[in-house]
Amino acid sequence: MTKHMTGTREEWLAARLELLEAEKEVTRRSDELARRRQELPWVRVDKEYRFETDEGSASLADLFRRRSQLLVYHFMFGPDYTAGCPSCSTIADGFNGFVVYLANHDVTLSAVSRAPLTKLQAYKRRMGWTFPWVSSLGSNFNFDFNVSFTEEQQREGVVEYNYERGGHAMDATPVPEPVAQFAATCGTDAPTYSRDRPGMSAFLLEDGVVYHAYSTYARGLDGLWGMYQWIDRAPKGRNEKGIWWRRHDEYDNR
Amino acid sequence: MVKTGLDTHKIVSQDEWFEARKHLLAQEKEFTRLRDRLSQQRRELPWVKVRENYVFAGPRGKETLADLFEGRSQLVVYHFMFAPDWEEGCRSCSFWADGFNAIGVHVNHRDVTMVAISRAPIEKLEAFKRRMGWNFKWLSSGNNDFNYDYQVSFTPEALENEVGYNYAKQKTDTSDLPGVSVFYQDSEGNIFHTYSAYSRGIDILNPAYNYLDLVPKGRDEAELEWPMAWLRYHDQYEDKSGKTRREAL
Repeated sequence: MTKHMTGTREEWLAARLELLEAEKEVTRRSDELARRRQELPWVRVDKEYRFETDEGSASLADLFRRRSQLLVYHFMFGPDYTAGCPSCSTIADGFNGFVVYLANHDVTLSAVSRAPLTKLQAYKRRMGWTFPWVSSLGSNFNFDFNVSFTEEQQREGVVEYNYERGGHAMDATPVPEPVAQFAATCGTDAPTYSRDRPGMSAFLLEDGVVYHAYSTYARGLDGLWGMYQWIDRAPKGRNEKGIWWRRHDEYDNR
Repeated sequence: MVKTGLDTHKIVSQDEWFEARKHLLAQEKEFTRLRDRLSQQRRELPWVKVRENYVFAGPRGKETLADLFEGRSQLVVYHFMFAPDWEEGCRSCSFWADGFNAIGVHVNHRDVTMVAISRAPIEKLEAFKRRMGWNFKWLSSGNNDFNYDYQVSFTPEALENEVGYNYAKQKTDTSDLPGVSVFYQDSEGNIFHTYSAYSRGIDILNPAYNYLDLVPKGRDEAELEWPMAWLRYHDQYEDKSGKTRREAL
C-alpha cells in the first residue's frame, strides 16, 4: 500500500485550491519574465557570418527565411563528434513537432552546429527530423555566442559559459561521470565533447540589419525540453540519479 | 536608439547588453527555483483513491484505467478536446499534441506513461491521429464518465448554468475543455488520482509557448480576436506557393 497521504475528494480539493494560487503566481511570474526579456536592449550584429545550409551558403540574415525573428538552437555537435548530443536530441524531439507553428508566427527556428553539414544531414535523417539545421563550421558564430570554446581556453581555465567563468560541470576536474558518458555516446572524449555547449539565442531582422536580442544556456534551457514540464507533474517528479535519457532510437524496447 | 517596427528599441554595445542580461539572469534563476519548489508542492498533494472502474475504447479494443499504465506506476492523461459529434479534434489541443507527440518514449523511461483521452469514438480518434501523423496512444471515454468526473466535459443540461472548470464556477458554451490529469498505481494495483490542471495551468506544458516567450515579439497575441486565433492544424499552414509550411520550411 502506498505510504503517500491519501484523502477524500474534499480534502484533496482544499489542498489543490491552495496549490492553484501558487501555480497562478508562477504563471504570472513567467509572463513577467517574458516581458523583461522583450525589454532587454539589443546589440547590432555587424560581423558577417557564413553558414552551410541545405540550400547552399547563407548569411545570418538568410537564416530568418523572410521572417523577422530567428531562434537559434545551439545544438551540440562539434566537428569531431560522430553523433549529436543526446540531451540536445531530446530537446530537438520536442521542437521538431512545432517549428511549423513558430514559422507561422513570424519565428524561424533553426539549429546551428559546428559539425560539417553532411554530418548534420545524416544525423537528422536518422532521427527523422525536418527543422532547418545549418553548419557554422569555419565561422566564429558559435564562439561569439559562447557555445563553442577553444582548446586554449580550456587549458587556461577561462571558459565563460552561461555568463560565468568555470562554473559548469563540463569545466570540472576530474571530469564528472555523466560528461564522460555523453562524450562516449558522441564518439569523442570529454574535453573534445565539452568544447561545444547548448544554448538558445534570439535575433531580430529589421531593414536588413540583424540584432541580437537574447541568449540562454544551461538550466536556462530547462523549460525548452518539453518533457521535463510533464515529468515535473508526475508523483515521482524528475527522480534522477545520473543521466537516464538517450537518443529516441537507443532505448531498449520495453 | 533606432526606430523599429516593434517599438523604439534600445540598441546598445555588447558590454551594456551583458550587464542587462546578467541582471535578468538572476531573475530567471530565481524563477527556475520557484518553479522547482512548485513542482515539489504539486507532489505533496494528498491522493484520492479511484474507485470507479473506467473502461476505455483503445486502438486494440477495451482497456481499463489500470491497463493504461502499461506496467509503469505513473500515468499522465492529456484531456484532448474532441466531442463525439466533432469531425476534427480541437485545434489548440492539436498544437499541444504536436509538442508532446515525440516525448512519450523519453518519459516512459522515467516510469511515466502518457496517453490522450477524448469522448469522440475511437474510429474518429484513429483517423485524425493518422492524418496528423501522431504516435501517442489515444483512447475514447465516450462510453464512461471519465471526462465528466475529471471536469473536462459537460452535459447539455450542465451547460445551461455555470459549470465547474479549473476549480471555479464559470459559464461556457463548449461541451469539452482541455486539461491534464495524473494518476499513480501502487504495487497492489490500487489507483490514485494525484493531480489535475486546466486552462492556463497547462500553458507551460506547451513548449512552443516557452520558445515564444524568448523572442522579441513574445507570444504576440494581444491584437488577435482571441489568443490562439493564429493557430492552424499543422497540415494547413500554407506559404504563397501553396505548399504547407512543413514542406516549405
